[in-house]
Amino acid sequence: MKPMNVFWAFVKVILVVVLLSPLVLVVLFAFSDRAISNFPITGFSLRWWRDMFEFSSFWGAFKNSMIVGAWVGVLTAVIGTLASLGLLMLPQRRANLLLLALALPLMLPPLFLGIMLLVWYLFLGLQLGLMTVVFSHLLIALPFFIIVVYARLQSFDLIAVDAARDLGASPLRAFMTVTLPIIQPVIVGAALMAVALSLDDFILASFTIGGGNTLPIMVMSTLRTSVTPMTNAVGTLLIALSISFMLVALRLTRYRG
Amino acid sequence: MAGGVARSYRGLSIPLRKPAFLLVPALVVYGSLFVAAVIYFFAMSFWSVKSFRIVPQFTLANYHSVLTVNVKPFLITLAVAFLVGMTATVIGFLYAWIIRFRAGRFGSALLFIALLTLFGGYLMKIYAWKTMLGGNGAINSALISLGIIDSPIESLLYSPLAVVISLSHFLLPFTILSSYASLRGIDDAEIDSARDLGATPWRILLDITIPRARSGLLAGFSLAYLISTGDYLTAQFVGGKMALYGQLIAPQFGTFFNWPLGAAMSFSILATSTMIISLVAFCLSRIGRP
Repeated sequence: MKPMNVFWAFVKVILVVVLLSPLVLVVLFAFSDRAISNFPITGFSLRWWRDMFEFSSFWGAFKNSMIVGAWVGVLTAVIGTLASLGLLMLPQRRANLLLLALALPLMLPPLFLGIMLLVWYLFLGLQLGLMTVVFSHLLIALPFFIIVVYARLQSFDLIAVDAARDLGASPLRAFMTVTLPIIQPVIVGAALMAVALSLDDFILASFTIGGGNTLPIMVMSTLRTSVTPMTNAVGTLLIALSISFMLVALRLTRYRG
Repeated sequence: MAGGVARSYRGLSIPLRKPAFLLVPALVVYGSLFVAAVIYFFAMSFWSVKSFRIVPQFTLANYHSVLTVNVKPFLITLAVAFLVGMTATVIGFLYAWIIRFRAGRFGSALLFIALLTLFGGYLMKIYAWKTMLGGNGAINSALISLGIIDSPIESLLYSPLAVVISLSHFLLPFTILSSYASLRGIDDAEIDSARDLGATPWRILLDITIPRARSGLLAGFSLAYLISTGDYLTAQFVGGKMALYGQLIAPQFGTFFNWPLGAAMSFSILATSTMIISLVAFCLSRIGRP
C-alpha cells in the first residue's frame, strides 16, 4: 500500500499546484521589485502598489466596482431569498425543473450574454451605465445564489417555526423571529458570493457599461496599453477581494459544492 | 436528516398562501432580461444592416454567410472547445475522485481550494498564463534557473496549446465541483462489496464510479464546452495567430457594427455545440452498460 499512497500524494500536489500557481504567481510578482514578471525574484517592493493607487483611473474604477457589487449583492439577496423559499414550497420535481431553467444563463458563454444584453438594453432605450451592469450581473448572480441557498435550505430543520406558530405567533412574526434568523447566515454568505461574482466579471460589464470603468475593465485597458507589474497589484487586489468574500461566504453558508 | 418537517409549507411560516408569489420577482428578472432578450436577439439574426441601420426584414443572408465565410475558425473553435472540455472534465474528475476516495481528511481542504479558484478573476488567470508561458516567463525562467533547459522554449506561448491550457485551467473548478457533486452520492458499501466480490479497481471505475458520476461529468463537460466556444479573450492573449470564433463575433458589436450577423454567428455556434454535447451525452450513456 505504501508506494500507492506516495503516488496519490504526488498527484494531489501536482493538481493543487496547477490549480493555484497562476494566482499565486500574480500575487508574488505584485511584490517583486523587478520590472518584468519572471524569476528569479530578487527583492521585495511595494512600488507597484504605489503606482496602482496613483493611477489616474484606479479610484473611479474601484468606486464603480463597489457600487455595482453592493447593488448586485442586495438585489440578489432579496429576490433570491424569496425565490429560494418559493422553490422550497414547490414539489421537489417541479422545483428542480425550474432551477434548471433558471440556471441556463450560467451555462451560456458570457460573450453571448453580453452582446445579447447590450442589444436588448439599447432596444429598450435604457441608458448604458452602472445600472445596466447591475442588471447584467443580476442575471448570473441570481441563479447562482438560488442554487446555493435552495440546496442549503433543504437540509434545515425548521421545526422551531412550527413551535412558534403553535405558541400563537402570527405567520409574519414567526417568519421574522424564527425563520429569518435561522436562514440568515446562508443568505448573507450567498450574497457575498454574488458580490464576488460581480467583482470578477469583465465580459458582461465591458459590453453593457457604455463608457465607464470597473476594476476588471481597468485591468483590461492596462493589459492592452502597457506591460507593467502594476497589473499584478490590481490583480492581487481583485483576487484578495473576491477570495476574502468567498472565505466569509463559505464559512457562513457551509456550502460545499 | 430533516425529514418531512422542513419541507412542510407551514414550517417555513411564510405569510403567503401561494408559493408562486415568492417566485415572481425572480421570474420577472429572468423573463425581462433573459427570455425576452434571447427572443429579440434570435429575431435579429434574421435581419440585416443597411448603411449602419438595422433593417427588420426577414432574410437568411446572415446564416448563409455563417455557412460560407469563416468556416475554418468555426470548426477550429469546435475542436478547441472539445479538447478543452475533455481536458477539464478528465482532470476535474480525477481531482473530484481523489477528494471523494483518496484524500481522507485532506478532502475538504482540496474541495475548498477548488471553490476558491472558482473566483480570482478570469482576466487575471489569462494574464497569469501569458506571463508564465512567455519566453522569459515564469515556467521558462524557473526551468532555466533549475538548470533543466539552457534556452527558453519559445513555442509555449502564442500556440493552440497555450489556449487549451489556459481555458482548461479556468474551467477546472467548474468540472471539479460538478463531478464531485455526483461522486458524493456514491455509497461506500457498493464499492466495498464490488471489491469483496473480486472486482479490480479498473472495473469498479468503469462499472460503478463513472456510470454514477455520469450526470456530473456531462454537466461539467457541457459547461466547459459551451464557455470555450464563446471565449474571445484567451486566444487573443495567448493564442498568437489562431483566431477563435468568439474573436470574430465580438467585433460585430464594436468596430464592424453588424449585430444581425453577430447574432446569427452566436446562434449557429451555440446550436452546433448543443448537438455535439448531445452526441457526447449519448456516448457517455453507453459506458458501463452491458
